[in-house]
Amino acid sequence: MTQLDFQTLLPLTILTVWACVLLIVDLFIPKNRKGITAVLAALGLAVTLSFTILQIGRENSGYSGMVVLDGFSTFVNALILVSGLLGIALAYGYVKRMGLERGEYYTLLLFSVVGMMLMAQAADLIVVFIALELLSIPLYVLAAFSRTSAESEEAGIKYFLLGAFATGFVVYGTALVFGATGTTSLVGIVGSASNGTSSLLLTIGAALILVGFGFKVAAVPFHMWTPDVYQGAPTSVTAFMAAGAKIAGFAALLRVFATAFPTLATDLTDILWALSAVTMILGNVVAISQTNIKRMLAYSSIAHAGYILMAFVPYGNKDIMPISIAAGLFYLVSYVFTNFGAWGVVIALEKSEGKGLEIGDYAGLGRKYPALAAAMTVFMLSLIGLPPTLGLVGKFYLFRAVIAGGYTGLAIIGVVTSLVSAYYYLRVVVTMYMKDGEPTTEREPMLDFTTAFTAIVTVVVSLVPQWLFLLASNAVLKLF
Amino acid sequence: MTAEQIVFLIVALVTLGSAFMVVTTRNLIHAALWLVATLFGVAVVYALLNAGFLAVVQVVVYIGAIAILFIFAVMLTRKDARDSGPQTHKNWWVGALLAVASYLGLSALVLGWSGSSKAAAGLPSGFDAVGQLGEALTSPNAYVLPFEVASVLLLAALVGAVYVAFNRK
Repeated sequence: MTQLDFQTLLPLTILTVWACVLLIVDLFIPKNRKGITAVLAALGLAVTLSFTILQIGRENSGYSGMVVLDGFSTFVNALILVSGLLGIALAYGYVKRMGLERGEYYTLLLFSVVGMMLMAQAADLIVVFIALELLSIPLYVLAAFSRTSAESEEAGIKYFLLGAFATGFVVYGTALVFGATGTTSLVGIVGSASNGTSSLLLTIGAALILVGFGFKVAAVPFHMWTPDVYQGAPTSVTAFMAAGAKIAGFAALLRVFATAFPTLATDLTDILWALSAVTMILGNVVAISQTNIKRMLAYSSIAHAGYILMAFVPYGNKDIMPISIAAGLFYLVSYVFTNFGAWGVVIALEKSEGKGLEIGDYAGLGRKYPALAAAMTVFMLSLIGLPPTLGLVGKFYLFRAVIAGGYTGLAIIGVVTSLVSAYYYLRVVVTMYMKDGEPTTEREPMLDFTTAFTAIVTVVVSLVPQWLFLLASNAVLKLF
Repeated sequence: MTAEQIVFLIVALVTLGSAFMVVTTRNLIHAALWLVATLFGVAVVYALLNAGFLAVVQVVVYIGAIAILFIFAVMLTRKDARDSGPQTHKNWWVGALLAVASYLGLSALVLGWSGSSKAAAGLPSGFDAVGQLGEALTSPNAYVLPFEVASVLLLAALVGAVYVAFNRK
């Protein structure tokens, strides 16, 4: 192993070792003080984050081309680590309140983060597969973490079965791609494909891989599990799952398709176009009829997967690609902060045994808890894409990239579905301010801090978005 | 007919017969034991193909670990190891039809392939397959990264499984 290999995966190695050590340290922490494990896990993520930031500007590949380090992976890894930190912050008080406080929660979360980071760096289909599993298996367990609740167990088993099925698609696709090209390395695949061995087998393999990733990022028509799992899983897990699995899934999808399958762009662009359009339409339309806030946010997360998929449609076009990737990354950042904030508000109102999760329970929030209601308003506006929030800026960059790529129709669908989505997001706002009620919330310092922090980021960064877009633009995919 | 072919035929019959018993016997423990016999038959086929290492792995992993795990799981979760429900689905003939069709289709494909009647080229003498496999799994220039990450993955899965299965009161 050379030093370069080591350097490529330095943050990931640190986090893996940290998670393994934490597993042992956790044994010595008394049962009623598992908050210490949470703090140690967060510390691990913070240390990893600082090492990730130190890697900005580095570009190399390691382990004989199995993993790469480039601007794209560094950006995505930083975002994943921030999601992990926010996920722990949301969970800190919540698991204690719900009687779920166990050290395994945090170690499993760290293992899942390791899987996500590896997804962002994987440059070989075998590594993609293993990273996908390392990401998913802890998430299956976390979804079922509330052992006393039947919904949580249902969520876990559903996510596990459908997730295993999705993994099957990825493996089958990988096998067909290997059969068509004789290699699993992304660079090798494109080399073999441009030699003219491009074949039906390769296209089918790529399509199967797309199906598997479609499951993971909850794109229609592979979204069936999302509402049940998001509703049944403990809310802090849902928040982390919605953000982390999406970031990692999209990062790997982008790298695999942009690096290995550019020759198939003519076939796949139309499929991606249709996936994106259907996901936006179905997610937003079905969300209208939801009365449970967790289900509503689940359909909202499906809809946002559709928006992010827009950034993939022009992936074969070399001129549009850079701004399209930058727009997609920017949108992911905006989604992560808005998502964690909105779920934070949900956690603040949630009571034990699944009470306090109906939209009607938010009545009177504006009068009784003006700060919390104001934060929720910010998140709802951001999810719609209205000023002054990151959601607006994200959608603006995204639609601009798609129109520049010549897919005006898709942009129009995006705008229209955003208008549709205003109906159900604003209904929450209307309920909070216009209806009378006596909501009670949980005051937890970490939760208040997270909600306030994400709300402030959502508003302030939207006023000066250029630097973030510049960062995203510099996060280029690199071929080795 | 050479001795090898006779051995192969016997092993194949035993393997198929015990595989049949796996799905027809009503006692789950018996089914698991028949599965052991089936897996052992496959190991012998590997040995006949000169794939000694694979044969050993087959015995150690599939019989030694997986089949035993099945038996453990059955004994830990079921009070009664007998299955009393009907053994066939009402659409069994569709499944049978599909199975026969796949068999005929695959046979036609294999027989139609020119390579199926040729003898495979022998390995060069002194070819160290096990050594090469080991190096491929542990060399940084090959697959050490997926290999190591797989162990982390198994650790995470183990922690998760213990959490889910452990019954706390």
